[in-house]
Amino acid sequence: MKPIIEFIHATKQYILQEDRTFKELIPSIVFRRPLSRKYKALNDLNFSIYEGETVGIVGKNGAGKSTILKLIAGVTYPSQGKVSIKGRVAPIIELGAGFHHELSGYENIFLNAAILGMHKLEIEQKVESIIAFSELENFIHVPIKKYSTGMQMRLAFAVAIHIDAPILLIDEVLAVGDEDFQKKCLQYLSELKKTHKKTIVFVSHAREAVEEFCDRALLIEEGRLVMDGSPKKVFAKYD
Amino acid sequence: MLKDFLLPFTSYKYLLYQLTLREIKARYKQSFVGYAWVLLNPFAQLLVYSFVFSIVFHFPTNNVPYIVFLYAALLPWTLFQSSITSATQSLVDNSTLLKKVSFPREVIPYASVLSKIVDFGFSAFLFTGLAIVLRVPIAPTVFYIIPIFFIQLFLTTGIALVFSAFNLFYRDIQYLTNLLLMLWMYMTPIVYPLSLVPNKYVWLYKLNPTVGIIEGYRSALFGYPFEWTIIGWSAILSAVVFLMGYYLFKRSEKYFADIV
Repeated sequence: MKPIIEFIHATKQYILQEDRTFKELIPSIVFRRPLSRKYKALNDLNFSIYEGETVGIVGKNGAGKSTILKLIAGVTYPSQGKVSIKGRVAPIIELGAGFHHELSGYENIFLNAAILGMHKLEIEQKVESIIAFSELENFIHVPIKKYSTGMQMRLAFAVAIHIDAPILLIDEVLAVGDEDFQKKCLQYLSELKKTHKKTIVFVSHAREAVEEFCDRALLIEEGRLVMDGSPKKVFAKYD
Repeated sequence: MLKDFLLPFTSYKYLLYQLTLREIKARYKQSFVGYAWVLLNPFAQLLVYSFVFSIVFHFPTNNVPYIVFLYAALLPWTLFQSSITSATQSLVDNSTLLKKVSFPREVIPYASVLSKIVDFGFSAFLFTGLAIVLRVPIAPTVFYIIPIFFIQLFLTTGIALVFSAFNLFYRDIQYLTNLLLMLWMYMTPIVYPLSLVPNKYVWLYKLNPTVGIIEGYRSALFGYPFEWTIIGWSAILSAVVFLMGYYLFKRSEKYFADIV
């Protein structure tokens, strides 16, 4: 089997730009201070994820989990090494991103789905099913600034799972929303998992969710891969 | 290369459409008179300028009522100015998207410019109405505004691309833009006719690409003779600005998610 996601000696170095205005930039140039510091978020990372796998990425805050997701989503690029992704990626975006709070839930479905790469026809075909999944039928024509955080999340999740992409990225999103909806999402993801058609990358602090749901877990510490194994073993080491 | 260049209009055209729609809708959703603000603002500006410059100064305008003479230039200028201002802000405003979803980033400033073109279209109706009411004959050369519009579009988009990208690195750009545009407006024959520029400096004055564009609109609408050399110069400069802007934008694009 060929890997669908592959990190080969991937290193990501961020340049921390400290001056965001000319007021700070000009003195730096005049006094020849270095304009930026460098910071290694990921260090020589090697792993592969195969088609149909569900992999949890575990680690403390600042360990480099989000950088890994960014590299998979294709919004940033490794400084050294290679990241190869085969297929379209559907990121389940965190709360609010890609939504416009003045627009209605219905309008936001089209906007958000377009951002995630869907075409008009595809959205029109799926919009009923998206609304049904979100359970927001009664509020769908209300501006989403009137929605609770949980409701916004339901809408975002409902849109994201309707994207026909082989790779699904889930970043801590299940932490918000009411318990019933969380259950529904996990149930949906479990069903999806059984088909072995989607590759799911899951970032979470929630031990239960990862252990229950993932086949494999990667433990990241200070930008390095410390352990790659079953979620149980990984969490034993993590704690 | 060409395929990448066309991506916002092929694979990503629905995204471009949705982002443009969002810009337009978001503006009127919460206001009382709604979309009318788009027309009211420039109209009020028009009245103020025409009071000051026709009653106080009295500029020669070749038998065209001053208000129409001014409107013909203020309209494309407003498009130019508002496109650049809103595009400069666009990437910063959409930083969450830059960090999460991959798509060609130029779609975002393009959507800003497109939404302003829609406003321009509505204001153009108002212009037509005004010209009819004041019985200003529109010259048969009116269709020349189409190529002139495209020259303007390339210049605008080129600047929009550079400024939007640079504003991510240094937020001063957005303030600098306002200053620059204000100075630029008075270096362009909008409130006054080109004929008032002293002969000694006129060659230097005409190096400004917006001079050819604005004069081009007036020539097309009112049947003044076309000065093809300055329009040609504007066209060349606009193409250069666009290509450079596009190149710089694409070069810096891959760092966007790292710096926002």
